[in-house]
Amino acid sequence: MNIQTREIDGTMALALSGDVDLSHSPALRKALMELMLERRAVVVDLSAVTYVDSSGIAGLVEAYQMARKNGTAFTLAAISDPVRRVLQLARLDRVFTIVDTVEAAVKG
Amino acid sequence: MPKTQAAHDAEASSHLDLMIEMTSDFAQSHDVEATLRLGLERVAARLGAEAASLFLLEADSGDLVCHASIGPTEVVGLRLAPGRGIVWRTVDLDLPQLVRDARLDPDFTNAVDDATGFVTRSILCAPMSFRGQKLGAIELFNKRGGNAFTQTDAQLLRALSMSSALALINTRLVAGMAEQEAFKRELVLASEIQRAMLPPPQPPHSPVHGVNLPARGVSGDFYEILPLADGRVAFAIGDVSGKGMNASLLMTKTASLFRCLAKREDGPGRILTAIDSELHETGLAGMFVTMVAGILDPATGRTVLANAGHEPPLLRRRDGFHAIDDGMPPLGISPDLFAGGCPESVIDLDGGALYLFTDGLTEVRAADGVMLGSDGAKSLLDAFAAMPAQERLAAVVRSLDGVGSLRDDVTLMVIEDTRLAPTGAFERSYAARPETLADIRSAVARVSHELGCPPDMAQDMVMAVDEACQNIIRHAYRGGEGDIVLHLDREDDLLVIRLMDFAPPVEVAKIRPRSLDDVRPGGLGTHLMRSVMDQVDFLPPPAGIGNLLQMVKRISR
Repeated sequence: MNIQTREIDGTMALALSGDVDLSHSPALRKALMELMLERRAVVVDLSAVTYVDSSGIAGLVEAYQMARKNGTAFTLAAISDPVRRVLQLARLDRVFTIVDTVEAAVKG
Repeated sequence: MPKTQAAHDAEASSHLDLMIEMTSDFAQSHDVEATLRLGLERVAARLGAEAASLFLLEADSGDLVCHASIGPTEVVGLRLAPGRGIVWRTVDLDLPQLVRDARLDPDFTNAVDDATGFVTRSILCAPMSFRGQKLGAIELFNKRGGNAFTQTDAQLLRALSMSSALALINTRLVAGMAEQEAFKRELVLASEIQRAMLPPPQPPHSPVHGVNLPARGVSGDFYEILPLADGRVAFAIGDVSGKGMNASLLMTKTASLFRCLAKREDGPGRILTAIDSELHETGLAGMFVTMVAGILDPATGRTVLANAGHEPPLLRRRDGFHAIDDGMPPLGISPDLFAGGCPESVIDLDGGALYLFTDGLTEVRAADGVMLGSDGAKSLLDAFAAMPAQERLAAVVRSLDGVGSLRDDVTLMVIEDTRLAPTGAFERSYAARPETLADIRSAVARVSHELGCPPDMAQDMVMAVDEACQNIIRHAYRGGEGDIVLHLDREDDLLVIRLMDFAPPVEVAKIRPRSLDDVRPGGLGTHLMRSVMDQVDFLPPPAGIGNLLQMVKRISR
């Protein structure tokens, strides 16, 4: 897994790539938590994620819950097929705000 | 003349010494006869008797028999049948008898005196008994110095004979225990020999496997697996009536006969007939043997069976179970029963599995006292059907141990049609660490593709295995070191995945899928596994395995 972070119009965009599994999810969680503590608006670009497991999903859920408490925006963008499959199985596709592109999240 | 207090004390203390000496003799010696004789010598010397005899009751005859004697006449071996006489009066009354002048006592029989020339004047006889348990008596003759025995002598002899009785009881108990120990050691040895005779575990590709679980030390069950020179495999299962050493010896003999005759006789019917005939050569003392013998041709799946009074084998095929019910009475009942030979059944395995078992399988009782029965046995065999043969047998037998207390030996065999065995089975061991999950995922992706899973399904299998491995790493090993064994196999249209670990067993109840309305991190993995698989079960793990998780998914075409 690789994480690339950039700022677009005040929103932090995290681009994840590769496999997000138990060996990488702690790094993802740490990155997300830091941004949540700074009360940043966050969009996570999942287009290049080849695999995500329950521990990766757990990091996203925790960030989602903190953003709701903070009243900040937390959006998933451009989710790949493997990510969509897991979100559907976990019935979290109706919990997260999911948009087609990072740009759509920033504008929203 | 009355004795002084000091003289009384000295006498009592020296009598005490004598009792301590005698008790010590008994405790140190393993030779009861020698110890009794030594005790009698000490007593005779102390009480100043010219002669003494020690009689013990013989349990079988009810006679009093002399075991030790001191003095001019040797009367060891002398038998006193129940009746009159000073010794019998002592034993019957359970009280010391003091006879100052034997010639005046109506119970005195002078047969010994007449035969030996010994002249009996006075007699002191005390019972050897303890708490009503009568063992015999000690009899003293003629106090040295011409006087008769005294009441004080009588009291001392009573005390000494009582402690001798106690020592003798203890010695007999200890001897009894030693005998039991020796018997137990013999049983352990016999059961070791038996176990050494059972076939070793067969290689995984072998078409015949067996397992035996003895309920007690020595088993009356046996099984045999014997590859023949022409590629066929002879096999047998049997149960000898009765328990213990005799059953064990008969079992050993029958098994040896099978090994010898299977190479010589053509077909299981002839083998059983020949064994029956051999068994009648040496008497069986009411014992008999139930037995199934068979020969499998692995190249065709054709199996020939013969059954002598044994539980009907069960053939498990796609359409369910079929009992193979033909057969003869048990072996060893009567020589003429097998005079006309023994019928054979021919079975086409046709991709199925044939189970042979002893009644220990069907008669095992659950806690509620209900026997497992044939239906229970079938559902057990169904439950573990997806496992490889040897693991399956072990799992069935292990689960019996859990069902109830094993009262009988359990022996279980399976004969399988290996022609259709899946060839793409995959098994590999991985370190239980997050960093190895990527390797595990790529192996599952590759092997499930090779086993015929469509791409979407293969992805789901990768996820299910990954989540299951995470559970093992996090919940079973709790971050500690350990291994995960991954096993993938295809059985008909089922993909069967097994994950084994060596951690302490996980409490299955704690690994429940979470409620989906509860949007908390964690607890999701089990839900994901259950969502994509048809079945997710923790199976009773074979010995040495911590947890065995099995996941099954139908491969849609």
